[in-house]
Amino acid sequence: MARDGRTAGILDRCIDWLEQRLNLTEIFSALSIYGLFYSEIDTRKPLRQALRDALDRPLPSYARWPRVLGLLVVVLFVFEGLTGGLLALYYRPTAEAAHASVRTIVRDVQFGWSVHQIHRWGAQLLLAVLVLRLLRFFYGGLHRPPRELLWLVAGALFLAGTHLELSGRLLTWNSLSYWSTTRGLEVLFDVPVAGDLLALFVGGREVGDPTLLRFYVLHVLVLPLAFLGLLYLNFATVRRVGLSPEGGEPAGAGREQYRAHAYNLGILITLIFAVLVTLAVLLPAPFSSEVDLFATPAGVRPPWYLLGAYGFLEIFPAWVPRRLSATLLTALLALVAALPFLERAPAEAGRRSRRVWILGTALFVLWALFTLYGALLDLPGGGTP
Amino acid sequence: MIFCTAMALALMAGAARPVDAGAAGTCGTCHPDVRVQFERSVHAGEGASCADCHGGNPGTLEVAAAHGGRFNGRPPRRDIPLLCASCHADVARMRPYNLPTDQYALYQTSRHGQRLAAGDTRVAVCTDCHGVHEIRSPGDPASRVARRNIPQTCGRCHGDRGLMERYGKKGDPYADYLQSVHAVALLEGGNPRAAECSSCHGVHGAAPPGVGDVHRVCGHCHEPARRHFVAGPHRAALSAAGLPECAACHGNHAIVRFGDQPLERVCATCHAADGPETDLGGKMQALYTGAREEISRASGLVTQAAQVPLDVEDYEARLEEAKTYLMEALPATHSLSLDEVERFTVRARSIGEEVAAEIHEKFSNLRMRRLGLAVFWFYVLLTVAFLVGRRRRWRRESPP
Repeated sequence: MARDGRTAGILDRCIDWLEQRLNLTEIFSALSIYGLFYSEIDTRKPLRQALRDALDRPLPSYARWPRVLGLLVVVLFVFEGLTGGLLALYYRPTAEAAHASVRTIVRDVQFGWSVHQIHRWGAQLLLAVLVLRLLRFFYGGLHRPPRELLWLVAGALFLAGTHLELSGRLLTWNSLSYWSTTRGLEVLFDVPVAGDLLALFVGGREVGDPTLLRFYVLHVLVLPLAFLGLLYLNFATVRRVGLSPEGGEPAGAGREQYRAHAYNLGILITLIFAVLVTLAVLLPAPFSSEVDLFATPAGVRPPWYLLGAYGFLEIFPAWVPRRLSATLLTALLALVAALPFLERAPAEAGRRSRRVWILGTALFVLWALFTLYGALLDLPGGGTP
Repeated sequence: MIFCTAMALALMAGAARPVDAGAAGTCGTCHPDVRVQFERSVHAGEGASCADCHGGNPGTLEVAAAHGGRFNGRPPRRDIPLLCASCHADVARMRPYNLPTDQYALYQTSRHGQRLAAGDTRVAVCTDCHGVHEIRSPGDPASRVARRNIPQTCGRCHGDRGLMERYGKKGDPYADYLQSVHAVALLEGGNPRAAECSSCHGVHGAAPPGVGDVHRVCGHCHEPARRHFVAGPHRAALSAAGLPECAACHGNHAIVRFGDQPLERVCATCHAADGPETDLGGKMQALYTGAREEISRASGLVTQAAQVPLDVEDYEARLEEAKTYLMEALPATHSLSLDEVERFTVRARSIGEEVAAEIHEKFSNLRMRRLGLAVFWFYVLLTVAFLVGRRRRWRRESPP
């Protein structure tokens, strides 16, 4: 006990020493920007008191499942950042060395395979959560004013997430990743303006050595920063408009203290980590051979999140210019973004607009159907369905 | 000087294409089809002219003057070897091209040359194989004597049953060759070192190998097999029986790979089907196929392991070694000694078994990951239980 007391004393003295030279609470409050703490932290108070205040801060009783999807995104993103950082220690982003370095990671580096698989599965889970979030927002009516920004940010997060996955997919530089990225880019290049910008950045419409390096920069620098910025916007909006009660729960009723929330967060992180490790062990992605620029493996298709767009573009007959169908696709995407603005004015926010509900559901069903169609296109065994 | 002139003429031909220019000189004016053929030849590029073979005067368009002098028109077949030899047997003239000059001498020792000397003009002379005006270098893939084209060139006469029957030759060596392992390697596999006709029969001095020489001829390429054959009992026995050594079992032109067909059947063509010799053949084959299967099983495992991926570079190197032993085992069968064959197969086999065992061990290590997963979940649940417990205790203690 005496030893514990002395250790605590040293820690206290360190904190005091730092506190006189640095606003520790300010650093701590930065965490609240990313959803770790629900509300603002008073940066004028010393760290220990601010912490105690934060832990005792009352929360609405509904600050629990399923209002954890946003936090889940943060947790998964942090996992991706940590594992990605470890992978970057061995990865070499050149066409000559990329595949060999991935092999080094998954074969020779201690636990490299698990870091690689966790990173890969984490990305898929992250995208799944981002889709789930959009669905929950829409069907929970959480996209309506004053939460339109949350809806837009959720959509932007999904787009950023898919681009992170697409750029990361190429980095392994194996035959499957190369060709599915190529086919995915074929879809994206047709999108007006954005496709042209992408082609400009990537340096042409073919996937080659420069593409690999630029995708690497996108994957480790540009897109993660964009993702972080969007996360900030997301939680800043939540802090301003508050969590929304649902299913007849009265706002602010049955207060819960923050400490319980922190324990829940710990449980969530532990379980997510466990799920990722389990997926990595039980369902590892196979290690494919190095890319062969002259042989497309049978049945290679765009990644799953682009299948809907791919199926949509493919359904048009050949005489319809790609630019036209791609513009139509962009218009549909814009319609999705505009959904909250088509709802009734905030004064009538109690009831949902039936037309918007039908429109949103129709768009989602359409997306699901086109994804199915895109998945069935050019199957290795047969022709087109 | 001649070369420079030819080059200048060739350049002029390329620039303006006058009818009478080019290597064929004015002859091409009246013989345009021959000119076209000749200009594709290796001779045209080296400054040879029509007059070098045909005589006459290439500097005039007057037919009488052009065909005058020592003009010989179409040289008779009998004279063709000597005509070619007038340049190709000239050491000083061939030196810059680093070409041999013994073709004519060799040709005279060949069956072709001997029969020509005896007055038979149907036999092959230089132009039958090399072409007449369009003579290309053997290195040119379009040449009739490029390695891949040699079987067809020889086959034009030797695949002609009617022609061959006049010489008392039965069968069709060209058709036989096309079925052989050599033809498959040369024509389908694209292996330029695979045997064609001249590999065994010689080039200009073409003749069938003598009975006692067959092992030497085959031994050019199949040196280990020859070594074992010469040391083994078959050589003396076959020569005593007057049988053509290698060809006695393998055939002469339609040489097939024994592969998976039972060796006993081959042995039984001379030996008793249930005799000890036939039995030995079966045992040797069993040793070989056993080792081969072991190696292919290990190779399959290596491929499987490389996809995981596991580090298989060491295994790949060891399997290469095993394949080398296996490759040695095949010629060793010609020694007809079971010990000699086993010396190689046992090594090949044991390497295959070692590699397979080590990969299996690595695979079982991989399966251990799942066991590790169970341990991992135990700790995960422990952590969750701890957190849930702490939360409950804290809720109980905290004032409502």
